[in-house]
Amino acid sequence: MEKRLIKKDALAGIAKKMAGDVLVWAPVKQEDNVLFKPLRADDEPFFAYLNSKNAPKNVFFPHTETLMKYTRTEKGMVFSEEVNDAPQSVLFGVRPCDAHSFVLLDKLFDQEKYKDGYYIAKRRNTTVITLACVKPPYTSCFCTSVDGEPVSSDGADILLTDIGGDYLVEFVTEKGEKLAKYFGDTQADAAADAKKNEIAAKAKEAIASKIPAHEVKPILDKNFDNPFWDTIHRKCLACGTCTYLCPTCHCFDISDEVTEVEGVRIRSWDSCMFPLFTKETSGHNPRTSQKERWRQRAMHKFKYYIDMFNAIACVGCGRCVMYCPVNIDIRKIVTDISKL
Amino acid sequence: MENIETKLREEAKRLLLEKKADVIIGYEKGTLPLTATPCFITQPDEADKLVWNNLCTQNLAKFVHDLITAHKNSQKRLKPEDRKKKVVGVVARGCTTRSIIIQLQERQYERDEVCILGVPCDGYVDGKELKIRIGGADIVDGSIDGGQMTMKTSDGDKTVALKDVLADCCVTCRFNNPIISDVMIGSPAPAMNPDAEYDDVKEFESKTIDERWAYFTGEMSKCMRCNACRQACPSCYCPTCFAEQSQPQWVGIGEDASDTQVFQFMRLYHMVGRCVDCGSCVAVCPMGVDLRKFLKKIDKDCFEFFGNRAGSSMEDMPPLGKFDEHHDKGDFVYNP
Repeated sequence: MEKRLIKKDALAGIAKKMAGDVLVWAPVKQEDNVLFKPLRADDEPFFAYLNSKNAPKNVFFPHTETLMKYTRTEKGMVFSEEVNDAPQSVLFGVRPCDAHSFVLLDKLFDQEKYKDGYYIAKRRNTTVITLACVKPPYTSCFCTSVDGEPVSSDGADILLTDIGGDYLVEFVTEKGEKLAKYFGDTQADAAADAKKNEIAAKAKEAIASKIPAHEVKPILDKNFDNPFWDTIHRKCLACGTCTYLCPTCHCFDISDEVTEVEGVRIRSWDSCMFPLFTKETSGHNPRTSQKERWRQRAMHKFKYYIDMFNAIACVGCGRCVMYCPVNIDIRKIVTDISKL
Repeated sequence: MENIETKLREEAKRLLLEKKADVIIGYEKGTLPLTATPCFITQPDEADKLVWNNLCTQNLAKFVHDLITAHKNSQKRLKPEDRKKKVVGVVARGCTTRSIIIQLQERQYERDEVCILGVPCDGYVDGKELKIRIGGADIVDGSIDGGQMTMKTSDGDKTVALKDVLADCCVTCRFNNPIISDVMIGSPAPAMNPDAEYDDVKEFESKTIDERWAYFTGEMSKCMRCNACRQACPSCYCPTCFAEQSQPQWVGIGEDASDTQVFQFMRLYHMVGRCVDCGSCVAVCPMGVDLRKFLKKIDKDCFEFFGNRAGSSMEDMPPLGKFDEHHDKGDFVYNP
């Protein structure tokens, strides 16, 4: 497909121009956090970021989402036609690991057996523009161990790579090409391509943190009851930091918020780290302690997801490693499992 | 801190060998540069991994409560005469001992179920402030020496003075040495600057209601309801938090601004006379919500109205946990 070059300092202008036409989600600096937010007229996108605090999954799978609304009347329940709000949007400047997470989330929300209309509508109407990592942002990045690369078009509609003074703009899909008008008219030459390949290889080489992610599946298959599971959870606070910041964690809860006659059914993020996550109506909780909850998290990422979709449910962004308040390091856990 | 670490390891080893403690909760080196993380030691030879430095952040009293409670629950079906006590050893600085005092005052466990290894404290590093000082760069490697933090980062070499990145709660700490202990390690640390304890609160109090409300709602809008603040808090030990009750449901589980505000409001008010300003909730918050401003306001009111400083002595009961029949007006209790 087509490739172009844009000046490096033109990027913010392009994002802002786009934001005049469609909804643009971009990294915005908010106090000390960089977050993906809908770009408003007075916002300045911040593309010099390492990675955002929150994973951009909230664009397709928001923390809280209305599934339906209803009113109780004398003649029975009246359901309102809840609009599944999915305007044309652009997700501008996500890191390749996060773009990879969309491919993984698609496997669940948009599969043959179940189709999640809410997710699919947003995904369909959103163009993903990936900003490649020419230098791995964090020492705890481990994307190359989990089928990712720092310069990758996986999950992207457009890939931007910083090749020095310019960004090489690669239109990966037809959806991406539809935005071509925003990216000037300088065609990229073969030299730009060669430069990008060189940068990509170097960036891949620079990912120093490696985990044996592919080796642990057969071990997990056989070690549900291994005493190892008694060792990792003890300092776990049972908060949702890891799961809420994770680009691939997708578990949710559904609840009804009801006033006298009107009700709203919402779905909101849930976390396998919360004791309430598996608590049943009877009061029984099949996962009685943080041990079972941690085993579930590890198993889900490195075994169950492979069983179901033939893919590891981790993209190696390192958020859970960096932001876990008690430094429970998934890299260490996977490495330790590989030695069982 | 080196010789404190050596003594700490020796004492921990001794307590385990002499079976005076079944487990020691302390800190070990983390997997990321310039971090320390809670650890649980049951074997004497593991005691050598214990560390004590300015990177030890979490208030370990939370784990003391959790371990003892889990042990008690596991013994519920035994005959009383067959039940055994579990003694939990804990590496505790001033704020940790204050939390233990609160848990003891609130009858969560007996004094002989906890063995306190008291350590002097000169403050811990606020990881978020450190990040700001180094321009958000990624820390590749680092060390602390002579009051300086030296780091190799993704943005070149950086040096930051330790005193500039200490957590707010540490800078103005009034109780940086253990209040109670079974074994005291090292000599007391020099005083911090408690005179400035309420400076931030006073400034906040001088604002108008609208400004304060705007600050509150602004801070709460950052919250993503991960519950890390509550989970890290040694005073938040309810088996079922009000936020998770379903009959009745006090707060919604979604991202609605008022639900988040109500959740945080109710948690804050449950902290009256029970917050020791250990800063754990602030340290763990992934989104950087300034919870301390509000907790400190409550703390100040609690001191000014009731003369109470949470957990400052075994005798000084939390104001909401005591009833003085001679002085407290009882009408509202009997005739609401």
